[in-house]
Amino acid sequence: MYTGNGIKKVLLVSVLVVIAAMLLSGCSGKKEEKSGQQNVKNDDNLVYLVQTPPPNMLEQLKAKEIDGFIAWEPFGTTAINAGDGKYLFKSPDIWEDHPCCVLAVSQSFKDSKTIEAVTWAHIKAVRFINDPNNKEKVLNYAAEFTGKNPEIVSEALKNITYVEYPAKDEFKEYYNSLEEGKLLKKSVTDIGFADGEKFFDGFLQDSVYKSIADKLDKDPNWKPSSVPGNIKFRIGYLNADLHQLPIYVAEKEGYYRNVGLVAGRTLETKTYQNGVAVMEAFKVKDIDMAYLGGAPATLKRINDDIPIEVVAGANNEGSGLVVRSDLGINTVEDLKGKTIAVPGVGTVQYTLLEKALREKGLRPVIK
Amino acid sequence: MGLFNYTPAEKLNGQTAARPGKRFGNSYFRGFSIVSFLLGWQLLVSFRLLELPSPFETAIVFLDLVVHGDPLYNKTLPEIVWSSLRIVVQACLISILIAVPLGVLMGAVEWFRHYVDAMLEMLRPIPPLAWIPLAYVIFANAGRPTEYVQIFVVFVGAFFPILLDTIHGISMVNRIHVEAARTMGASRKQVLTQIMLPGSLPSIFNGIRVGFGVGWMCIVAAEFVGGKLGIGYYIWSSYSVGGRVAEIISGVIAIGLVGTVMNRFILFLEKRLVPWR
Repeated sequence: MYTGNGIKKVLLVSVLVVIAAMLLSGCSGKKEEKSGQQNVKNDDNLVYLVQTPPPNMLEQLKAKEIDGFIAWEPFGTTAINAGDGKYLFKSPDIWEDHPCCVLAVSQSFKDSKTIEAVTWAHIKAVRFINDPNNKEKVLNYAAEFTGKNPEIVSEALKNITYVEYPAKDEFKEYYNSLEEGKLLKKSVTDIGFADGEKFFDGFLQDSVYKSIADKLDKDPNWKPSSVPGNIKFRIGYLNADLHQLPIYVAEKEGYYRNVGLVAGRTLETKTYQNGVAVMEAFKVKDIDMAYLGGAPATLKRINDDIPIEVVAGANNEGSGLVVRSDLGINTVEDLKGKTIAVPGVGTVQYTLLEKALREKGLRPVIK
Repeated sequence: MGLFNYTPAEKLNGQTAARPGKRFGNSYFRGFSIVSFLLGWQLLVSFRLLELPSPFETAIVFLDLVVHGDPLYNKTLPEIVWSSLRIVVQACLISILIAVPLGVLMGAVEWFRHYVDAMLEMLRPIPPLAWIPLAYVIFANAGRPTEYVQIFVVFVGAFFPILLDTIHGISMVNRIHVEAARTMGASRKQVLTQIMLPGSLPSIFNGIRVGFGVGWMCIVAAEFVGGKLGIGYYIWSSYSVGGRVAEIISGVIAIGLVGTVMNRFILFLEKRLVPWR
């Protein structure tokens, strides 16, 4: 069956050597630490991270496979409601007004009338949500939107701050953490900006928001002119993500209809599983505007040069670290040696946890 | 000895047909294949048809990942691959332990085959990945569900190729040999261990080889459930961060490389353990 035995033998030997090398390097344990994550003197200060999609975090926490997880609402509250854990900290304890979900528009979408109309509907929805008189209604909308029971949703809503525009400085802080963590493959100069300042001026485009907010402040009943009846506007959002409640409220409260955006005719909504998918949709021009997390928006804006602008915010904060209640974890220091699930490297939640750990001299390592 | 290397019939019959082109040796064509692949890749990049890093850039990143590791995860590529490979090896060993005895029984005992077949026939078309949510329910109280879910998914992927090839091997055993042994007074056990098993081993090995291959494919997707950083999640995570095409390609190359090595290793074992093939 074999010809050219010499060559085959050599191949075989080299293959075996490769296997041996792999097994060895896999088993030989810790190598010297590399750049990117800070050097530390001892290994006692490690906190182990695993990357997991949030729905699986709930199962893993229940099974005690992980000691805690950091995720957005309503996952934290869901786990606590099921009796599987408790909050160790919530967003504002670590990082006030940290950016989260935003409303972004593709740079190739030039229809400023429609952008204005959608942004208006969004701001109206946010103001509706933040109006204490609407508490009951918001709760019902939130429960319908996420499919969770009202008890969980009402707890979760307490941890989310719906905003009309994200805090610029906090966005910059997030950007800095990406740069420090070597998460940026490209620099802002690679994608045509002179410096970080110029990049944020372009990326966080608040002129539309400001003019609308101005007019609404003067006259709460002001509305922009309707969009033409022949357009086909496409907006994306994340499936059942409580942070993106404004899109559901805008639809239910008729704000979209008020400006001529009728679902099925002029308005098409598309759901996505995560922000990365939303950015890919932006890339292939599948959507004109979308709600998504600030993290994938920033990362993919820079690393993949997908041209989008943030025209409004959806929420700040709204995340938290849940830990098992049977481990006696009461402070961040107690996380030493524990395993915590994060939604992914470079996410806002990851940044939040890293910030909390570093303040206490702990160091996260990916397991 | 490659994936698509079939022994031509004339060789099986002991004739060596001198074919033109043989003179150059097939290894030249193998080398040429790799060169033309890299050239095609380079051309795609040079003419900006695809926004990929060039083969050379990728090779640099690949070597850097192997030697220094990825600063984002503080792990080297072999470490990441090993974490996946461990699960595949565990899962495939479990598959072999269950599928081979089951296959032998099913191949040898007809009523048993019908009995089991009715159950397995419906399970077989289910893609291994469709089991993930259900596997989470099954292993919810098992301590380390994520790891078990991954093992289970790979197990399902590897199970059927091994089982089918085992049954095939047993049923392909020459009946005349079995009859002859029986007439000469061999016991059922002797027939099994000295005729059936040796006769079907080549086929069983083939099943194991295919099983490992499918299992290795499954692990990449199974890792999307999260857990320890394996090669599948590494690729996904690199993609989520964005701008890391060279790292993604390096991960894909690592998967291909390990798959090839695994395939050849099992062929090598087969040659050693089943010399009568």
